[in-house]
Amino acid sequence: MPVIKKEVNETQYGGAIIDRNIKSHASDPFVLKKVEKAKQMVDKFGLPGDKKK
Amino acid sequence: MNLKHYSYFTSNDFKDYEFYSEGPKGRIKKVVLFTRVLGESTFYNLAFGDIDPDTGLLDDTVVTDNDDRDLVLATVANTINTFCDRYGNHFIYAEGSTPARTRLYQISISALWEQISLDFDVYGFNDGEWRNFQKNVNYEAFFVKRK
Repeated sequence: MPVIKKEVNETQYGGAIIDRNIKSHASDPFVLKKVEKAKQMVDKFGLPGDKKK
Repeated sequence: MNLKHYSYFTSNDFKDYEFYSEGPKGRIKKVVLFTRVLGESTFYNLAFGDIDPDTGLLDDTVVTDNDDRDLVLATVANTINTFCDRYGNHFIYAEGSTPARTRLYQISISALWEQISLDFDVYGFNDGEWRNFQKNVNYEAFFVKRK
């Protein structure tokens, strides 16, 4: 009788399930635009608690 | 923080997260993504939105309106906890794609404030300054840092 080996792609980490099939959206245009906007904001106004303007 | 939330999935590097919103509009995939931003100050940007079914790309201009706003925000808050477990407690920046969307974030944070404030310092940006988050105040952007 053939043995069928099922590959498990999910394990647990804290409250999350790790799924090796999740695609990264780090290079999506929307994300790149948001990151650039965030960088400009922080370069100009700093982080909370910073004294810079 | 003990908020009811959706089950969520993460990538191997703990920067991409996915979960499904369930409501009258059906089952909709949501994505949360943390990106390290290097500049004069180092922090992480939180991008959040739906996957455009035509392009497969992340987009937060879509209005889902699935009657589960607070459940969705609670899930996003939990992804921040998991992210911080892995990477430490950094400043995390969040801003909606429009002022209306940013205001929705503010309303949800206010609604869940009792629980969120247990685990997170939240700052809002208005009038050219970062201030401690207060309910019923409009902000242009947010920073979150786990305590």
